[in-house]
Amino acid sequence: MKNRMSVWERRLSHGLCLLEDAMKKPVFRCQSCGECILSHTAFICSQRCPKRMRNGPCGGTREGGFCEVYPERKCIWTLIARRSALLRRSVLLLRIERAHDWELEKTSAWLNVFRKRIEPPVLLMGKKKRHELEREN
Amino acid sequence: MNLREKIESGRFVITAEIGPPVGAGAEPLHKKAVHFRGVDAVNITDNQTAIVRMSSIACARILLEQGIEPVIQVTCRDRNRIAIQSDLLGAWALGIQNVLCLTGDFQTFGNHPESRGVFDLDSIQLAAAVRGMNEGRLMSGDEIKDPPRFFIGAAANPFAEPFDFRIERLGKKMKAGAGFIQTQPVFDIDHFRRWMEGLRSRGFHKRAAILAGIMPVKSAKALAHMEKEVPGMRIPGELFDRMEKAADPKEEGVRIAIETIRDLRSLEGLAGFHLMPLMWESITPRLLQESGLRSS
Repeated sequence: MKNRMSVWERRLSHGLCLLEDAMKKPVFRCQSCGECILSHTAFICSQRCPKRMRNGPCGGTREGGFCEVYPERKCIWTLIARRSALLRRSVLLLRIERAHDWELEKTSAWLNVFRKRIEPPVLLMGKKKRHELEREN
Repeated sequence: MNLREKIESGRFVITAEIGPPVGAGAEPLHKKAVHFRGVDAVNITDNQTAIVRMSSIACARILLEQGIEPVIQVTCRDRNRIAIQSDLLGAWALGIQNVLCLTGDFQTFGNHPESRGVFDLDSIQLAAAVRGMNEGRLMSGDEIKDPPRFFIGAAANPFAEPFDFRIERLGKKMKAGAGFIQTQPVFDIDHFRRWMEGLRSRGFHKRAAILAGIMPVKSAKALAHMEKEVPGMRIPGELFDRMEKAADPKEEGVRIAIETIRDLRSLEGLAGFHLMPLMWESITPRLLQESGLRSS
């Protein structure tokens, strides 16, 4: 049904994953979902959420913006919402992120962009791009 | 008229909520259902707070047989997209027409904290999936020969951070197909009014029916328990004072609920109420009558 990964692609992905993890894990605490939306979420990894929410916070955020599951941690989505407003990237949060493709889990997001399995990141957020996205929503 | 038709024709609607029994007998359900004659539809929770109970779909069918229109709650905690879609096809075949799409309480809060959480989808993706099914296709893109036509609902918590983004996110739920929104219980009326203002300024109240949550509480202790155990609850201090000072806390709890209903009844953009008399189903007829929501 879907175009599955070939063996060579898996090998390449595995190699790239090591490199990607080495860069993304220390900086973003990347969870290697393989379907990176860091650029939509103000460069905070949404997959650190215990429920792996990709479209915003669940209903359980505690007073002061703390996580329902781990009350000693901040809800990752309160951080994302705040930083998105700060960087004027909030419009990116209005998009409905599709259901995660778990087949891409632990594969290289870079390769997945290159192979057109996922969308390329929105790195720069110029006026033009913002208007485009605002129209889209 | 079913819930969808009532909402689409602009009628002010009342929904309520039943927690299924922890047991395999239908009798407790029959007993609870008697109290909900006056409401338009009744939600059946899906293993709320991650505690095992009778299946929501099974209970919905039982209620249907008693002449009550059910709304099944579907959470993403226990089932992946295969199981959810399969269950929904079955639910429609059993005559269930309303689905409330939820992400679900985390499993560590329940009676099986050692279990594995699924969270294959989130509530928004679930709503989108149900809409896709209504349009005749599964998430995979495969065609459904005999598609359902569910009325899709979603939940909102007006009382948790991040406030502004939560309103935008509610817009996403509507975009994904939600036609009605049930909120967490309202205790902080001023805050709820501000939240509704936020919805109105974006025109969201026209895109889906907003039903405000109402929960009568029996004691100050119950209120404190709610605030502590239910994440994302916001309860003003004066409410605690009122409950603590009251000679008859139960009566005071009912009075507060009725006052809240009367206060919000004419709020612009509000399409109805969602009653949550947890463990206190028998109070529902009184709430409906004394608040003026139902006359007889």
